[in-house]
Amino acid sequence: MRRPLVALTLAAALLVTAACGSDSSTDEAGGTDDVTDVTVGIIPIVDVAPIYLGEEKGFFAKRGINLTMESGQGGAAIVPGVVSEQFQFGFSNVTSLLTAQTRDVPVQIVANGVASTGNPDADFGGVVVREDSPIQTAADLAGKKVAVNTLKNIGDTSVRESVRKAGGNPDDIEFVEMAFPQMPAAVENGDVDAAWMVEPSLAIAKDAGGRVVAWNFVDTAPNLTVAVYFTSTKLAQENPELVERFQEAMAESLSYANAHPDEVRTVLRSYTDIDQAILDAMTLPLWPAEINRASIERVAELGLADGVFESEPDLDALLP
Amino acid sequence: MTAVDNTPVGAGSAGPDRGTSAPSHRAAPTRRRRPPTALLGVAGLVGLLVLVQILPSTPLVSSRYLPPATEILAALVELLGDGAFWSALGDTLTGWAIGLAVAVTAGIVLGVLIGSVPALRAVTASTIEFLRPIPSVALIPLAVLLYGTGLESTLLLVVYAAFWQVLVQVLYGVQDVDPVADETARSYGLGRWARIRHVIWPTSLPYVMTGVRLAAAVALVLAITAELVIGAPGLGNRIAVAQTSGAVDLMYALVVVTGLLGVGINLIARAVERRALSWHQSMRGEVIV
Repeated sequence: MRRPLVALTLAAALLVTAACGSDSSTDEAGGTDDVTDVTVGIIPIVDVAPIYLGEEKGFFAKRGINLTMESGQGGAAIVPGVVSEQFQFGFSNVTSLLTAQTRDVPVQIVANGVASTGNPDADFGGVVVREDSPIQTAADLAGKKVAVNTLKNIGDTSVRESVRKAGGNPDDIEFVEMAFPQMPAAVENGDVDAAWMVEPSLAIAKDAGGRVVAWNFVDTAPNLTVAVYFTSTKLAQENPELVERFQEAMAESLSYANAHPDEVRTVLRSYTDIDQAILDAMTLPLWPAEINRASIERVAELGLADGVFESEPDLDALLP
Repeated sequence: MTAVDNTPVGAGSAGPDRGTSAPSHRAAPTRRRRPPTALLGVAGLVGLLVLVQILPSTPLVSSRYLPPATEILAALVELLGDGAFWSALGDTLTGWAIGLAVAVTAGIVLGVLIGSVPALRAVTASTIEFLRPIPSVALIPLAVLLYGTGLESTLLLVVYAAFWQVLVQVLYGVQDVDPVADETARSYGLGRWARIRHVIWPTSLPYVMTGVRLAAAVALVLAITAELVIGAPGLGNRIAVAQTSGAVDLMYALVVVTGLLGVGINLIARAVERRALSWHQSMRGEVIV
């Protein structure tokens, strides 16, 4: 999930002119009867279960979309892949797209991806400390070493907000970058004081005796939209009809996933290697069909205050 | 020129350590010495397995993050029955083989061409020295931009990394041609093609073989790196998925597979190299004398 890819998006912006010249993809934009091949760049994590489920249920096929999922590790490849039209759509966290927008990378959000449960007792992402840690509340994180998967992104922004809300001073938290799968071990060994992680790492850490001290998504905004599906501005302009079909199929997939958590856990076994015990213990995120615009505004506001964005993101240009 | 039929003649003087196919009375003492080395190798492996088995039960490492060897092996056995694993292995080997073939062919052709034309060599020298140290992984953003996350991206990285290994070796090889042999060939009226075939090629062969062996290993590293980082289908991608899923035993099992692949590739490359080199040494012995 979520690397900001500052360098990569820049490279994308620079090289997009070169890449645009190459071949295919804008193909037979024809009527709804045609079958369109659509490639979606995703990360093989819990968040994208609805698109796998939707494909399995035929929600895409019945709209003439022949779906292929390309899974990039950490998402490093996804934004450049969409901009260069290797992928028609991509999955990315909101902050990375806001950053891309402020840097004039031509992307546009088309559908909701995944959202926080909004439940202050169980979310799919939270800040974990070791069982015997002196840290009891989010306020105690002040001045501590906290791991996030990517600096200057949703992790540090939302953890700061948790600390602020709990009455602590977020200014001198030392954030370090670490991949989610490494975090449970780092917390247990005491390499970091705390780590913000998402499922399944969260369930693994809790299983190892970790204790959640903050639900940073819940603290940031009610029902925070964490990640979304997006496309290139070019495709959105040239083929609005395909975008519409994708949006409809996504909305149906998201609603279905929300209503059928058991099927979500089953489909997860098809594209991940998550252990059955962890799979059962995991807190699933919410998959609302609609993007929560107010929550994205909040993320933009907090990110701007924290210096994540160099200029104010233009939400009207980015959101559908 | 007369190289083909002189193998037995040169064998006595040229190959002190290559007694495998030599007369049997000579091989006897070496054969007695050999089992211990093989045994030592096995002992080393067993020692490693025992260490990995014991380590997780010490406070040094939690078995949660480094499962004992038996669990890794169990996951490995389970993998062998999984069709998706075999197709991932196939993807990795396909990327490796195509990439290596392209890199070796291009490296040899360009190496001989550049190496045998002094002007070309002078023109390209600084460019090669500039391009060669660029790590292939640094090209990942470019590869993704041009080719997405499929096999082509993997190939770009594999070819780029493996190509220089071969090219540079071939260049050295071509430079190593004995001027006397070359002059002799010229005075016998051999044309350019014949000189490449009978003088330059045999001289460069050991360099080429070294280059190929290095390239084979580098190509495997890059194939798996590309899959891991870009997400192109293959073993690397499977490792990444196992890692994000927290399936630690499966992840180590896949890592073991990549290690075994590396060992296998190295053994084959060495066998090929040994053959080609023994032929060459006798050949060179005759030319120099």
